[in-house]
Amino acid sequence: MNDPVEMLAAMQLGDSFFPSGSASFSWGLETLRADGHVDKAAAVGVFVAGQLEHRWATFDRPAVAAAWRAGADLDAVCAVDRLVDAATLAREAREGGRRIGAALLKVHAGMGTPGAETYRTRIAAGEAFGQMSAVHGLVGAATGLTEATTCALSAYGVAAGLVSAAVRMGLCGHLDGQRILQQQRVAIAGWLTEPCAPLHELQAYAPAAEIAMMRHETGSSRLFAS
Amino acid sequence: MNTLATGFPVADALKPRGAARVGIGGPVGSGKTALLENLIPRFIARGTDLAVITNDIATKEDAERVQRSGLIAPERVLAVETGACPHSAIREDPTLNLQAADLLDLRYPGLELILIESGGDNLASSFSLDLVDHWLFVIDVAGGDDIPRKRGLGVLSCDLLVINKTDLAPHVRVDLQRMVREAHDVRQGRPVLLTNCATGEGIDAVVDHIAREVLFDR
Repeated sequence: MNDPVEMLAAMQLGDSFFPSGSASFSWGLETLRADGHVDKAAAVGVFVAGQLEHRWATFDRPAVAAAWRAGADLDAVCAVDRLVDAATLAREAREGGRRIGAALLKVHAGMGTPGAETYRTRIAAGEAFGQMSAVHGLVGAATGLTEATTCALSAYGVAAGLVSAAVRMGLCGHLDGQRILQQQRVAIAGWLTEPCAPLHELQAYAPAAEIAMMRHETGSSRLFAS
Repeated sequence: MNTLATGFPVADALKPRGAARVGIGGPVGSGKTALLENLIPRFIARGTDLAVITNDIATKEDAERVQRSGLIAPERVLAVETGACPHSAIREDPTLNLQAADLLDLRYPGLELILIESGGDNLASSFSLDLVDHWLFVIDVAGGDDIPRKRGLGVLSCDLLVINKTDLAPHVRVDLQRMVREAHDVRQGRPVLLTNCATGEGIDAVVDHIAREVLFDR
């Protein structure tokens, strides 16, 4: 990343201060903690690494990349969006993706990011769902980020979101949290240098998290929306 | 306008102006939910088209308490999870509260007022003005008569400071008169009202304040 403008834009969009509603989601971690499956920093590290490898790299990344490549072709973004929605089994994951996507789009529309308001209209018309990975690709391209930067932001968002939730739940301390994020860098960078899987090969295998999200729907602990 | 399966609205280009949004913040246990339960029947009685959003910290208890109260149609009460950060959900990143408020506007054309109850937080919490038009901060006598003079952000910057549980003052050795005087001093003349949500005392003045300051053109 040699362009300082792109770097600054990436820092703004990747900052946890950027309002997206994502702080309200734990993607199954709250239930896994309640059930005793994730109980300390080491387990958080394993969970985060697993989510990146078995969900982000094979599911989110191809979707983000496809939406980024679609650029201003909103029909193509809609197609990615619909596929992601249809392939997301757990209700809280599916609805969480829509809620974060909608929140991101509203903020970007307010910021004047090209295509954001138009895409909101497409969603309102029932042509798409606003899944966050499709929205990440759309707004990343519209903001002038490269595909690699957009995908890196997406991966970092997954990792940072999970670690942030873990810290707030007391599963790990602030230093352990940063170490976990640090440990993901090489793996994420490796995936980013590999060719991206085509959209028709979209796949995810993270059953513990998915079952946890399904159980979370009726669980009594509701710090998080997932 | 499509709201998709989650029910959350995704576009507001054609949205009418929408209901006024009033925040209710304050420390845990100060009486925010009790204040809500007192405000709801009074606004309904005066014909105000009303809905409620609660920001529970760890459960849906507050939302369910209001939904089951019989005071308001349960579907007019939405809960927003805050991810253990109640202050963020109403200030730095209020996007999910905005989604919930937009949804209520969409569901209920003619809606006039949305009361947004924050999760219990500390004296430094405050509402984003992108989220609310007006906000109340509720403290209580039993929390200590030194709260106003600590000059917390919530006490100083809210539009209306409510001091609740006034009946407890003699039981917790609080000098209520001094507490109220210091509250007026630190707020430099901005409104302070006293309530006892257990009996309803002082609530009408809060309703009058909101009606005057927020619903003035409705």
